[in-house]
Amino acid sequence: MQLLKIKTFLLAGFMSLVACQNANNTQTESSAGQTAAKDSTSKPTKTVLFFGDSLTAGYGLDDPATDAYPSVIQKKITQEGFPYKVVNAGNSGETSAGGRSRIDWVLKQKVDVFVLELGANDGLRGIPVATTASNLQSIIDKVKAKYPNAKLIMAGMQIPPSMGVSYAKQFRDMFPKLAVKNDMLLIPFLLEGVGGNAKLNQADGIHPTAEGAKIVAGNVWSILKGVL
Amino acid sequence: MSTASDHTNLSRPVKWSWLFTMAWRDSRRNRSRLFLFISSIVLGIAALVAIYSFGYNLRADIDSQAATLVGADLVISGNRAPDKQIQPLLDSLGDSRSQERNFASMVYFTKSNDTRLVQIKALQGEYPYYGSIETTPLQASTDFRKGKYALVDAALMQQYKASINDSLKIGKLTFKIAGILNQAPGQTGLAAGVAPVVYIPMQYLDSTGLLGNGSRISYNYYYKFNGKTDVDKLADGLDDRLDKNSLHYETIQTRKDNTGRAFSDLNRFLSLVGFIALLLGCIGVASATQIYVREKVASIAILRCLGVKASEAFLIFLIQIAGIGLIGSVIGAFLGAAVQLVLPVVFKDFLPFEITTTISWVAVGQGIILGIIVSVLFALLPLISIRNISPLNTLRSAFENATTQRDPFRWLVYLLILGFVVGFSYLQLQSWQASAAFTAALFVAFLLLTLTALLLMRVIKLVMKASWSYLVRQGFANLYRPNNQTVILMVSIGLSTAFICLLIFIQALLIKQVTLSTSGNQPNMILFDIQTDQEKGVLNITKSFKMPVLQQVPIISIKLESVNGKTAASLPKDSTADKMRRAYGYEYRVTYRNFLTSSEKISEGKWIGEAKEGEDVPVSVDERLARRLKLKLNDKLVFNVQGTPMNTYVASFRKVNWNKVQTNFQVVFPNGALEQAPQTHVLLTHVPSSGVSAKYQQAVVKGYPNISIVDLGLVLTILDQILDKISYVIKFMSGFSIATGIIVLIASVRISKYQRIKESVLLRTLGGSRKQILVITALEYLFLGALSALTGIVIAIAGSWLLAKYSFEIPFQVSYAPAGILFGLTVALTITIGLLNSRGVLNRPPLEVLRSDT
Repeated sequence: MQLLKIKTFLLAGFMSLVACQNANNTQTESSAGQTAAKDSTSKPTKTVLFFGDSLTAGYGLDDPATDAYPSVIQKKITQEGFPYKVVNAGNSGETSAGGRSRIDWVLKQKVDVFVLELGANDGLRGIPVATTASNLQSIIDKVKAKYPNAKLIMAGMQIPPSMGVSYAKQFRDMFPKLAVKNDMLLIPFLLEGVGGNAKLNQADGIHPTAEGAKIVAGNVWSILKGVL
Repeated sequence: MSTASDHTNLSRPVKWSWLFTMAWRDSRRNRSRLFLFISSIVLGIAALVAIYSFGYNLRADIDSQAATLVGADLVISGNRAPDKQIQPLLDSLGDSRSQERNFASMVYFTKSNDTRLVQIKALQGEYPYYGSIETTPLQASTDFRKGKYALVDAALMQQYKASINDSLKIGKLTFKIAGILNQAPGQTGLAAGVAPVVYIPMQYLDSTGLLGNGSRISYNYYYKFNGKTDVDKLADGLDDRLDKNSLHYETIQTRKDNTGRAFSDLNRFLSLVGFIALLLGCIGVASATQIYVREKVASIAILRCLGVKASEAFLIFLIQIAGIGLIGSVIGAFLGAAVQLVLPVVFKDFLPFEITTTISWVAVGQGIILGIIVSVLFALLPLISIRNISPLNTLRSAFENATTQRDPFRWLVYLLILGFVVGFSYLQLQSWQASAAFTAALFVAFLLLTLTALLLMRVIKLVMKASWSYLVRQGFANLYRPNNQTVILMVSIGLSTAFICLLIFIQALLIKQVTLSTSGNQPNMILFDIQTDQEKGVLNITKSFKMPVLQQVPIISIKLESVNGKTAASLPKDSTADKMRRAYGYEYRVTYRNFLTSSEKISEGKWIGEAKEGEDVPVSVDERLARRLKLKLNDKLVFNVQGTPMNTYVASFRKVNWNKVQTNFQVVFPNGALEQAPQTHVLLTHVPSSGVSAKYQQAVVKGYPNISIVDLGLVLTILDQILDKISYVIKFMSGFSIATGIIVLIASVRISKYQRIKESVLLRTLGGSRKQILVITALEYLFLGALSALTGIVIAIAGSWLLAKYSFEIPFQVSYAPAGILFGLTVALTITIGLLNSRGVLNRPPLEVLRSDT
């Protein structure tokens, strides 16, 4: 229990992913609709894998299987008729180091689109940005090595300014840098429009509600639908 | 006295003044005997008052200590800025107010050029109102509030080799380190230790620039109330309003409730001691009264011969006893209060902390009232039989029991005594249930001792053989012959021994519990997010620091996919299935091992520590989770281990003690199933000092920057101090109660002095030698002492088992050595006092004794 308490706290204390005034460069790719064959019988043959922490896992939601943002994405995919199946590989409280250890296990299944959503817990624990960056790089390397044809998406993250301005900036800049370096698509800020808004977050103030998760899904969808 | 005409007028009115005069006159007859009687009351009541006063004072001391855990009477906290409608309330509560903003931030040590995560506490006001922020230098805790100063956690200072007057950059501002933070009240939860604490004055918080949009800040409001405000009631009334504003509160009481069981254990223990003190007082007073009244039978018979009515005789002695009870209780109460005042002063140098010595008038009052009630109540029993003493008793031997056993008043008296014990124990225990249980236990103990005594008499009578030596026969015969004291001494010695022994047992059990929860034996540092390939390295570092690995566990996050083939999708869509839906949505943190820990016990099924290749995996489920999911043994559970399904079945249910500071799990897997699954590891260890903590953290972070370390050292120091005090109070109170118990025991044996004196004198007159009389007495007391001590110890074992199991809920264990010592001591004491009792007879010529008033 004590440990679970710690864990929960760390989730609560460290998972504060909050919006800042961020230039809203929505890179809306408008190539989607066309491929959307209305054939509802076509079976999903390809996989979108969300690899992340509690935000992906849907921590604290009543029914993560329908409310977490990857589940919302699945619904959209089905609606639009894309032949993709969503796999939620979110693990609450996970850091980039944990992700690096876990990735091999997760990559046992075939991946066509890989969404990387990790690092928030590192940022809230004050782990040096260089460490986090190198862990994320290892994860990307492993995905590329195993599935060279997979499309990679990086979910950008920010930490609250109370963590200190220079650290917060270094942290925020890490994601675009990694995305560019590895030729990945970038979701500029996963929690855009949700972070910092009390109504869209759970009582802990950091994990999105079901309503918030829909907005998060929207942020992801605007990038994701381009690669499907 | 009465005239001849009165003699026949049996319906004459009661003359109260005459009754009082008679009561006084009778008491003059034998002052030395009266003194012995009173002294027994005095000791009983003194014991009670001293224990009560110590109890009240120590409880108050511990309570004020508990206040230092929180530092204020009321804390209101929330994790967002309070809005306008609640702000006026926050600004108006209490008589003194402080506030604090609290958040995690990266700070920069200018000298060492290092950046580190800390917990900033920006403070405004006089907080803490109880206890203090302890710093080096001392005055830093107040001085830092006046300027751009910071107080920095001791281990953090050492880790970054910072010294006082160095600068520390927090946000945009640079603060000067004014002092090293050694200890501070406030949060004691594990949450508090996540990052080391840095205090700054709140007036500079805005200019640090850390409060921007999106910042995550906790808001704490501290209140102190002067006078006697019932803070708990007040806070409870505010709860709804606070809750609506996402605020919650904490009081000293709620903190005590959440701090663990030490406080409630102490409370229960003090109640127990109070109850025992009450009974010790009763034994002292009751046994004295019983013997005293019995000796009055002869004088009552004479009075009756002279025409005193039975009711008048009854009243005369009732008045006398009440008077004696009053005098004895008053003296006793003040003696007890004096002991309570003087003892701590005398032993000042030996006491680890200062005990408040104020006279507890409640205790004194309770003692006096109790003394009078007990003496009257217990005098009633023999006094009722006074009514049946016929004048003929003067002429015949007065030894025959004059009572008709079926006197209905007897039952009334029993009922009164019962009511009294229940009532007074309720005053101590504040629970009818508990006092009923205690009274019942006491009744059983009493019955047991009486039965043992009766059995002893019967058996001795049966096995006694004429062939035994005269001394042995005489000694044993004393146990059952008329005018024997077997039952009364068995009960008083037996009960005193039982109480003393009970205290010894419970004390040992509790101290064990308390020491277990002090940080010396508990993990105070937790490392987590250790990756599998880092495990060995971390272990080596820990070992090289000679620190113990208290626990090291793998943690795997899994989800429940189906129970007996039913998935979340098969649940009905309405709200009735919400609970189960959540059970499927939850991420279970599980571990695997091939053993059970000390905090868990199999309650059903069989623990299996190894999984067999290719078969379903046997798992053990926490009872509470099983109840929630309505699981039965052998139910098939399919878990989703990060995408890989794993078939398992419920092999056992575990009862888990979640209160212990260690890792506990709802589901435990056996070895051989999850080894390959993605996992992180947690390590619990104990650091001896902040210096070691600093070096250890440095070493770990240098090798493995991803590992997070929680240092609970600072948080646990305050708690430790309180636990130390609690364990000291328990030891002190039981020691003191045991000492008074022994004194009461001595007194209750001592009052049997006059029982045997006549016989001894007669024996002496008939030519009995000193030695013979000594042997006879010694044999009698040896038997009494040994049997009652043994019965008492058996009762104590049963009693402490019951207490341990049902009241304290701690594992029971008999400490045989102290019980053995107590047995020897009781027997030795009983014999010694018995022999001392007849010393007067032995050392003087028989005639002298006969002539003097016996």
